[in-house]
Amino acid sequence: MTEPRPSLSELFWGMLQVALSAFGGGLSAWSQRIVVEQRRWMSSEQFLTGLTVARLFPGPNQINMAVYIGAEFHGLPGALVALAGMLLLPFSLLMGLGLAYFHFHTIPSVDRVLAGVVAAAAGMALSMGFKILDQYWNDRVALLLAAVVFLALSLFDQRLIPVVLIAGPLAMAWYWPRRQSNP
Amino acid sequence: MSGLLAAAVACEPARLSDLGTLVQVLWQFLSLSLFSLGGGNTLLAEYHHLAVAQFCWLTNTQFADLYALAEAAPGPSSMLVGLLGLGAGWREGPFWALLSAYGAEAAILLPSTLLMVMACLSWKRLEHSPWRVAFERGLGPITLGILFAVGLKILRTADTNWAGVVVSVVVCVLMLRTRISPLWFMAVAGVLGGLGVVNR
Repeated sequence: MTEPRPSLSELFWGMLQVALSAFGGGLSAWSQRIVVEQRRWMSSEQFLTGLTVARLFPGPNQINMAVYIGAEFHGLPGALVALAGMLLLPFSLLMGLGLAYFHFHTIPSVDRVLAGVVAAAAGMALSMGFKILDQYWNDRVALLLAAVVFLALSLFDQRLIPVVLIAGPLAMAWYWPRRQSNP
Repeated sequence: MSGLLAAAVACEPARLSDLGTLVQVLWQFLSLSLFSLGGGNTLLAEYHHLAVAQFCWLTNTQFADLYALAEAAPGPSSMLVGLLGLGAGWREGPFWALLSAYGAEAAILLPSTLLMVMACLSWKRLEHSPWRVAFERGLGPITLGILFAVGLKILRTADTNWAGVVVSVVVCVLMLRTRISPLWFMAVAGVLGGLGVVNR
């Protein structure tokens, strides 16, 4: 069903193709199209497992997905090569934009346009929490945990790492899978 | 007056040419890497704290601008860390800025990448382990709380006039209710900014 495993350079070019195709957005859809349908490196099930692992573990999801694809075929070297392929163009472009920003951001008209763009970007940031709120709506403990974490960070200005180190184990203990006979 | 001066002295931009500072900065990014739950955006408020309050590389406004830039540009928005690195090295010139940009991005990605590789290799055992179930279900609500805190932090950092806050709220609702590409929102809001309707 799937083709023979890709070499390191094929991995690099494949992920570069994913990054290029996704310049308008939809990175994970493109990576599925290219990795599963076009190049047939992985089966659909393998790819979906990858999405699960990528979401579960720390790190940006799309970047973790590239790591998964690379590691599946060549371990750590594969992961690094896939990562480089995926990030090279967008990262270089963004750094170019960044250098331009530091050169020009004091120009009043640039600053005025940016003020508008920033307002929109703040709206996008605001939507992130609401986006996953639905799935916890009926779980009072989850809402309580979220509220405590929110207050610790926002109202009491605590840092993220200690908050996660304290709340994380408590939450894991509460959600530890119980036996079926003991609901 | 003396209070003002003290504040200015307290926020002297941290220089990466100082080895001790460099090690401290790298350590901060390396350790944050393993706490980027829920896809990485959970770290935004921490990035703000490091870049604006602790190391004073950027002003509030610059941070908001760079965040918007990272969201608007193609590719994963976590590349914001590279822009922070750029800001950190900017005073030393473009070469150092780029070097510190690549260094910062590598530092934030390396630990999570190593963990991810280990996870891939041992996934068959992990998949049905109670640890995995508890981790997935327990960290979800914590991610929820963090994301709300991050949203509020970014909104405060944007610090626009009331028209800007209206734009933010409308964009938030449209993000949740429609599938319109966010690039359109930013383009329209950019025009509103250029016309002076939204300002800060």
